[in-house]
Amino acid sequence: MFGYIYKRTSHAIEVLLIVSIITFAVLQWIPGDAAQLILGAEATPEKVAALRTAMGLDRPWYIQYWDWLKGLFQLDLGRSYLFGQEVVTLIQQRLPVTMSLAAFSMILASVTAIILGSMAAIKKNTTVDYISTSLMQLGSSVPAFWLGMLFIVYFGLELKWFPVAGYVSPDHGLGPYLHSIALPSIVLAIGEVGMLLRTVRTSMLDSLSQDFMDMAKAKGLASSTMYLKYALRSAMIAPINVMGLQFAKMVGGTVVVESVFGLPGVGRLVLVAVEQRDIFLFQGLVMFITMLVILISLLVDIAVMFINPRIRIEMQGE
Amino acid sequence: MAANRRRIQERFQLIGGSVLTALVVLLCLLSFVWVPHDPNAMQLSMRFIGPGENPQFILGTDYFGRDILSRIIYGSRSILLVCVLAVTAGSVIGSLLGAIAGIVKKGPISGLIMRSIDGLMAFPGILLAMMMVAAVGKGREGAIVAISVFMIPPFARLVYSLILDSENSLFIKAARSYNISKTRLLRKHYLPLLLPRLITLFTACIGSAIMIETSLSFLGLGIQPPNASWGLMLNEARQHFLQFPYLAMAPGIAIALSVLGFNLLGDGLNDALSRRRS
Amino acid sequence: MSAEKAIDIKNLTITTQGGRTLVDNISLHLNKGEILGVVGESGSGKTLTAKTIMNLLPENLVCKAQSFCVLGADYLTMEKKAKKALVGSKVGYVPQNTGSYLHPMIKIKDQIADGYLLYTKNNLEEALQRARRLVSAVGIRDTERLLKSYPWQLSGGMRQRVNIAMSLMNKPRLIVADEPTTALDSTVQMQVVDLLKAVNAQHETPVLMISHDLGLVKYYCQRIVVMYAGQIMEEAPVDEVFANPKHPYTRALIKVIPSLNMKKGERLAEIPGQITAKRSAGPGCVFKERCSYCQSACERDIEVKKVNDKHFYRCALDL
Repeated sequence: MFGYIYKRTSHAIEVLLIVSIITFAVLQWIPGDAAQLILGAEATPEKVAALRTAMGLDRPWYIQYWDWLKGLFQLDLGRSYLFGQEVVTLIQQRLPVTMSLAAFSMILASVTAIILGSMAAIKKNTTVDYISTSLMQLGSSVPAFWLGMLFIVYFGLELKWFPVAGYVSPDHGLGPYLHSIALPSIVLAIGEVGMLLRTVRTSMLDSLSQDFMDMAKAKGLASSTMYLKYALRSAMIAPINVMGLQFAKMVGGTVVVESVFGLPGVGRLVLVAVEQRDIFLFQGLVMFITMLVILISLLVDIAVMFINPRIRIEMQGE
Repeated sequence: MAANRRRIQERFQLIGGSVLTALVVLLCLLSFVWVPHDPNAMQLSMRFIGPGENPQFILGTDYFGRDILSRIIYGSRSILLVCVLAVTAGSVIGSLLGAIAGIVKKGPISGLIMRSIDGLMAFPGILLAMMMVAAVGKGREGAIVAISVFMIPPFARLVYSLILDSENSLFIKAARSYNISKTRLLRKHYLPLLLPRLITLFTACIGSAIMIETSLSFLGLGIQPPNASWGLMLNEARQHFLQFPYLAMAPGIAIALSVLGFNLLGDGLNDALSRRRS
Repeated sequence: MSAEKAIDIKNLTITTQGGRTLVDNISLHLNKGEILGVVGESGSGKTLTAKTIMNLLPENLVCKAQSFCVLGADYLTMEKKAKKALVGSKVGYVPQNTGSYLHPMIKIKDQIADGYLLYTKNNLEEALQRARRLVSAVGIRDTERLLKSYPWQLSGGMRQRVNIAMSLMNKPRLIVADEPTTALDSTVQMQVVDLLKAVNAQHETPVLMISHDLGLVKYYCQRIVVMYAGQIMEEAPVDEVFANPKHPYTRALIKVIPSLNMKKGERLAEIPGQITAKRSAGPGCVFKERCSYCQSACERDIEVKKVNDKHFYRCALDL
């Protein structure tokens, strides 16, 4: 148990190092010079050179990388020259929006996937199964930005159920907050639910074919008990892993939806960083989001082990 | 009965997927032969003609008075070009990396390759693509590089795991006992094993490549104006779609149907393959 | 439809959707208070027969019968729900001991009593009380600890005791035991079968025992049915099976029971060949390929012959 946690954690750190190397290397490649970009095209070469020295850009790449890496472990993600602020501060301001989006869409997607996926597995090869799998296939083929636009036109403009754009912070009341976040969450959820539904269906099918289901049936248990108490319990482990990973990836994957709905989240910041070529901001954002992904998937992996009583009890024995 | 219905569904996937992908390819071929109008010709007098209002412009015209149908036909060419090139590059690089890691198995090289693959997979999809675009620059080349990097991990993992799985199968052991060369082993024994799976993955990857390319173009990071591209058309529609929702319809449907087509085809092939194996 | 018989099946046939016959026109009955052993190699159709009785037949198999009565209820005309309730409330099921019949993530106390709670309207405390009593009756001393355990914390023998206790929760009027001793140590095997026998003796509960081990069945059953390739080869009271076996297959089975009188270095007896995977479509005895007595008469359709009221066999020869 502790052996596994140790192994899993050290793997996570390895991946994190690799990710930092990839990020650093790729962004070194960016055409043009950070100092030049900051000062603009008309700056004199002397000024540029002076700024380069001030920013430490004239040092060898490995020293730059090392300094940057040291900063990362102290959660110093660097400074945005565009905003003139610490990247961490910028993220802090925008994280609630993105987190709300990711959390709500994950809840929506999980509930839908568990219900439809289980039903599809229980009624395998029936109309229910085909309809739910086909719908999901359709759902994951529709690009989120287009779906977002359609929803804005229909639910926002035609029916006036939801605001067409913008974000209301929960400080201004829970109702308006949920109202502002609902439509983008649904759009995100539709994109995510397909993969999750497949996972639920497959592991539910596996669970249903187990002998303990025969026993549950021989005991004459009601269908609800059979499926909820027996089948779903062992069918949930794989989907929980997928959910964790999807949630983590959504924190960085909301760029498109934030852009469509005009939400001031982390995704918008990423877009601005790329468009304005704010390398340090972009570098910091990429590392932050990826660290979050790695951390969340590590935590989910460990949590899943605790859900499984076998591992939990063996650990108590140690 | 049930097995029959499963097969019908599989056939439906294969047929539906083939028809849709064939449609996209035909559209692309058509763009070389004939388009109703010059896709980039602006006619400001012809702005915002709705679909069906003018028989000259079946799908209507956009803000600049450009014919939407012509832009859709042209868009299929640019999207297929980008996606096929990118997935080909990604699959070749990924398969090679996976094969190297699988054949040397233990040791620093294999570990380094597979860890790097894990690292690539830790990035949320669109973020990795944006990073590559930032490095290479906006536009077609950026999109190709971004998508191909994104496609490396699935191919590397597939090849790596298939090689490790078949390591223990009898015919590979037998081949090893003849002491044949590693390249010959790869070509004669692993390739027939890998090829169907690679083709299936390739098809499915085209679907997700279209999704990434259109997302990048929608964000203004992919194909640049005035070129025609479905994602870009949606981006340009953003300012006016609240008054003219039809602007968003044609490109959106085109994207959804082509992604659906490649996904269905990939799934159908995959099911057919796994049934044949069992 | 006689209420005298716990199970009364006439002309049961089970086929795959492709039309392959798995159980071929068998008739079987279980009298009140009786222990009936159904014996045969794997692939003989005995487990499928038990599953049909337990309402557990996989959905992709097709089952036909002239009549199929369990505890006086007619399966052929019954609603699905009623069938499930009948099996759940009145039939106890002791499965093969693979351990996989208990849910690995649920504590014993949470799965032993749920069927009882559903069918008796008693509360959880009463249910656990009964579970404790039954668990200790099947020979488990530390009942509290057992009830708080997860199945994988128990040994195979313990798990099978739990299975038996669980099958007894609803005071069943019929027990179906499908190879209840597979994969158990031989001493535990005896204990498990002793338990079933004791239940049978105490409450006169009829038991249908499926087994591949004729040697084990010999000591516990009153009557034996020998199955092969989906057909019943011989049916007789246990003494007659051993004293006067009529079918070559029965004889072969008796011969392969390992005996303590074996000489050192002597090879265990075996029946050559395997159950023909694809049964020869033509007429004739299903056992002819492996039968050492096979003659030209075996190529024709075989009729069931009668030795006396209780002893039947299906062989063309008169051995």
